[in-house]
Amino acid sequence: MAKRIEKVAVIGSGIMGSGIAALCAGAGIPTLLLDIVPFDLKDEEKDNPAARNRIVKAGMDAALKAKPPVFYNKKTDLNLIATGNLTDDFQKLAECDLIFEVVVENLKIKQDLFARIEKVMKKGAVIASNTSGLPLYKMAEGRSEEFKKHFMILHFFNPVRYMKMLEIVPGKDTLPEITEFIANWGEKILGKGMVWAKDTPNFIGNRIGMNLICKTFKMIENSDIIMPEVDALFGPNMGMPRTAVFALADLVGLDTIVHVADGSYENLPDDEARDVYQLPQYVRKMMEKKMLGKKTKDAGGFYKTEIDAATWAKKKLYLDPKSFAFKEFDRKAVVPAIADAAKKGKDLAEKQRILVYGDDKYAKFAWELISNLLVYSANRIPEISDNIIGIDNAMRWGFAWEVGPFEIWDNIGLETSVKKMEAGGMKIPAKIKAMLAGGNKTFYKVENGKDMYFDFASNSYKEIKYSPKMIFLKTLRAANKVVKANESASLIDLGDGVYNIEFHSKMNALNKAMLDFMEEAADYVFKNGVGMVIGNQAPGMPGAFSAGGDLAYMGGLAKEGKFSEIDTFIKGVHRGIMGIKYSNIPVVAAPYGLTLGGGCEVCLACDKIVAHTDLIMGLVEIGAGLVPGGCGMMHLWQRYMDSVPGSVNLVDYGAYVLPAFMAVAQAKTSMSASQARDMGFLRPTDRIIANKDYLIGEAKKEVLKMVDDGYAPPAKKKYPVMGQAAQGMVWAEMFNMKSGGFIPPHMEFIAKKAIYCMSGGEARQGQLVSEEYLMKLEREAFVELWRTENTQKMANHIMTTGKPLML
Amino acid sequence: MRDAYIVSAVRTPGCRRSKGALAQTSPEKLIVQALNGAIERAGIDKGVVDDLMLGCSFPEAEQGLNIGRVALQMAGFPDNVSGATVNRFCASGLESVAQSATRIMAGWSEVCMAGGVESMSIVPMGGNMPRPLASWAKENPDVYVSMGVTAENVANRYKITRAQQDEFAYHSQMKAAEAQKNGHFTEIIPTTADRFVEKADGTIVCETFVQTFDDGVRPTTMEGLAKLRTVFAALGSVTAGNSSQTTDGAAASVIMSGDAVKKYGVKPLAKLVCYTTAGCKADEMGVGPAYAIPKLLKLAGVKVEEVGLWELNEAFASQAIYSAQQIGIDDKKYWSYDSPDKKININGGAIALGHPLGCTGSKLLATLVANMQRLGVRYGVESMCIGGGMGAAALLELCE
Repeated sequence: MAKRIEKVAVIGSGIMGSGIAALCAGAGIPTLLLDIVPFDLKDEEKDNPAARNRIVKAGMDAALKAKPPVFYNKKTDLNLIATGNLTDDFQKLAECDLIFEVVVENLKIKQDLFARIEKVMKKGAVIASNTSGLPLYKMAEGRSEEFKKHFMILHFFNPVRYMKMLEIVPGKDTLPEITEFIANWGEKILGKGMVWAKDTPNFIGNRIGMNLICKTFKMIENSDIIMPEVDALFGPNMGMPRTAVFALADLVGLDTIVHVADGSYENLPDDEARDVYQLPQYVRKMMEKKMLGKKTKDAGGFYKTEIDAATWAKKKLYLDPKSFAFKEFDRKAVVPAIADAAKKGKDLAEKQRILVYGDDKYAKFAWELISNLLVYSANRIPEISDNIIGIDNAMRWGFAWEVGPFEIWDNIGLETSVKKMEAGGMKIPAKIKAMLAGGNKTFYKVENGKDMYFDFASNSYKEIKYSPKMIFLKTLRAANKVVKANESASLIDLGDGVYNIEFHSKMNALNKAMLDFMEEAADYVFKNGVGMVIGNQAPGMPGAFSAGGDLAYMGGLAKEGKFSEIDTFIKGVHRGIMGIKYSNIPVVAAPYGLTLGGGCEVCLACDKIVAHTDLIMGLVEIGAGLVPGGCGMMHLWQRYMDSVPGSVNLVDYGAYVLPAFMAVAQAKTSMSASQARDMGFLRPTDRIIANKDYLIGEAKKEVLKMVDDGYAPPAKKKYPVMGQAAQGMVWAEMFNMKSGGFIPPHMEFIAKKAIYCMSGGEARQGQLVSEEYLMKLEREAFVELWRTENTQKMANHIMTTGKPLML
Repeated sequence: MRDAYIVSAVRTPGCRRSKGALAQTSPEKLIVQALNGAIERAGIDKGVVDDLMLGCSFPEAEQGLNIGRVALQMAGFPDNVSGATVNRFCASGLESVAQSATRIMAGWSEVCMAGGVESMSIVPMGGNMPRPLASWAKENPDVYVSMGVTAENVANRYKITRAQQDEFAYHSQMKAAEAQKNGHFTEIIPTTADRFVEKADGTIVCETFVQTFDDGVRPTTMEGLAKLRTVFAALGSVTAGNSSQTTDGAAASVIMSGDAVKKYGVKPLAKLVCYTTAGCKADEMGVGPAYAIPKLLKLAGVKVEEVGLWELNEAFASQAIYSAQQIGIDDKKYWSYDSPDKKININGGAIALGHPLGCTGSKLLATLVANMQRLGVRYGVESMCIGGGMGAAALLELCE
């Protein structure tokens, strides 16, 4: 029988444990979450199950309240989680195929727990510890051979739902077929990026990350560069999150950082950079004073925010390590000139080059830190990872870097940087020298359409092995698979007659060039292929499939009073959208992350949606002073009507109109694909994919299936609308909202336009109307709104500030 | 014209919408028990009843199909007893009393019943399918305005402060708690209720239990009330704490001519002396009693000072306070729970006991008659505001 994970247990209900339980439940797996019985039970509570499960309940309650949300969909996922305690419910572990241990980081406690688990576990069940530092071989001490064969470390990062990284550490006795199985399961079912690590202290992510953080702690101790300057240098310009180093430390909590750093110092006697892990005095002092960062708001951390009682103005402060006093800074003024210069670089590689090869003190600081990171990383192979991929993936997936150390190295140029290192007296690892001596100048390259990496052990390039489901557009691009392109979109050959439209404008916002391109692309694929995927792989967390429409273009037309051109533009949008819908080839959308406004509307027109589970989808145009202009309202309404079986004589249209209307009028967005389904954006038959890297591969599979099944485009038909009755309801309610001061006048005006469009204008309740009629209503409303000064103001405001202006 | 005598008036407990004890009990089952209770207390035969007027604000779905007739049949009245459903929104249950009484007074009937029913849990306020006429809603949306917004309007236009409203609400809760403690709700009939329960094995069973008290009464403090957020206006003053509760309940009464009283040997409780209604602006419907009460007293020739007990429905504290001000009975001594002179809503009002819309008129009648009997008060007035912009008021006189 094929091995399956039918039921999972998670022991420990803290942030990590409850996060793992929520993730498994979100993947559809029944999950048992256990924690200890409280030690301090009163006598009268000893037989009370509620009191005995108090700790696991507190863990679940915290998970339910967590922001950003831990659960994909509380309504459905909670049904799959059973809770209990380690005394009364321990025997239930015998039903589980995979048991996660997520208890306190104490070797003795873990060893005792494993001894108990061994007695009840089902034969062949897998046991995984989520330890972030304890050695696997010590945890397994005293256990049977059978236990050890099925025992491994699976190390998640916080927050479990959002951090892609899952480090997998097999022990020397762990069966390779078991680790292989779990690695595939983690990748496919949990959607994680699996990183193969070894039983070495702090594994990969924390080993490299902590080296950088501790090195920075040290470097700043006697430097005249201040913390906010460091974070400005090492944020997005370096391909790191905005939190960079010090804000990240505040977010994680200094106690955790110090715990890991101390562990590194103690357990890494032979590490050439061991001294780095000896933390400077000011950090020790912060620990003494319990200045741990975000979790100790009043004491602060490396940063602190104070509110001036008189003016309510926020004051941003940073810690000066020399005087150990907080000092005020201005977030904008503090950005070093070189970081501003880097920001203008055309791509990440150029930004990074500007930063590390500059002349000023900031560039020197950046160079010292980055060159150290690169050499330290190279020295860790094969100690912590057999190859460079493990380290790069760990930093991308565990620390949300856009590129890992070896990719940075490629970006800044291996030869150039090594020369600069040598000139500065740095010790270059022998493997790097050997690599260069062999004429190899990059760590990665694409050869014959395959991604290759440089393998130090054999001093040669090797192919990167991916799951066959993964398709990377970047690789196909390098392999000359782009068959058509303009400045904002490309058509890429995925093989088997399937082509992918890739957006690549800023935030992938839809513009005229893209819409024109979609028509051309559909035409090309119709002649040369069988079907099409609309998907892209822009970086970022959560990233943007398409964050909306090109407001600047329409705003420009409005400013010049060219409203008939907006009208013509929307006609073009409609032609493009309806072209996708009724083309004679199947089109599958593969959205992820921000899929808003126009991005959402493109998806709604496709034959099928294959969505990543982290999907932020919505028709948010009202925030820009508009109604959706790409048939979004009509298609959302059609989704609702399509959900009613034909045999039903629908009476209460209001029950359907209100949620659809509210989604538009309140610019509601989903926090997951599962929620997008609840909101009616996704059909029950649309698919939700856990692993983002599978998205385009799965979408391609759906295209081929539709082709194989004999594809026919949707039949054009009239749909019933609620008509004026809907407007009566909404206008009456708008009066209440206006009276209560809950909606500003222009937004009320827009909301009324939205219901007019969605309910079919002057139609009567239940009347069948054509799509052309609804599209005309939408276009007229759209143009009329642009004619108003308030819409122009709202659109301009959201374009310049990113925030909606409520008028 | 002849006199119309109320010979019995009872009610089910008023219980909180959705979360309360009656939430899963069909409105038909509630009114059937109220009708039977009224007949039992009157001590007459069901067959002598000529007609039933039944008030209901949302007579649709479970409350539709002329529940006024259906309920009689369910309650085992013989076929000759007829019934109708009456709708004047929040005054439906008083309108039904007035219509039945008028029929007695005109000499067209000897024995009639009146009542009210509303399961706000089962048929939502506004109905299942509210459909304001689009063309009218676009021009005159105030006709369909939410009741909460009208309460804000009253507070704003007539300067009823948040503190005043909260204080009034606090006393309503305290009076209700006190009345419960002292067993003053003698008009309540123990009511059998349904509860749909999932058993451990997944089987669903409908269990029954008996509910004997109003379950919306809760101990509160001025500080607690002050913390509540406004509901209907961002910067308003009306909160869930100083508004009536949405509630399930039913009430019924038996009304007779003097001849019938003699014939059946029944002891009459009170006489319905006069009933009237008055219209006002829809967007401040809460002021309705301020128009209806003076009109009533003028018609009846009775002075404000002669009225010993008032049931002023507390749709919202803002409108109840304003109405009391206009009639000249707003002095705190008339409504505070610890005052010996209290005469307004002495057992608490809808803020504590709930406002089951179409039932309320008949419910307050039962409470008022019980209190007039207990305290020997000659004149009692019942009044309420009505959605759409109206007020209704009735004058009762004690039978000794």
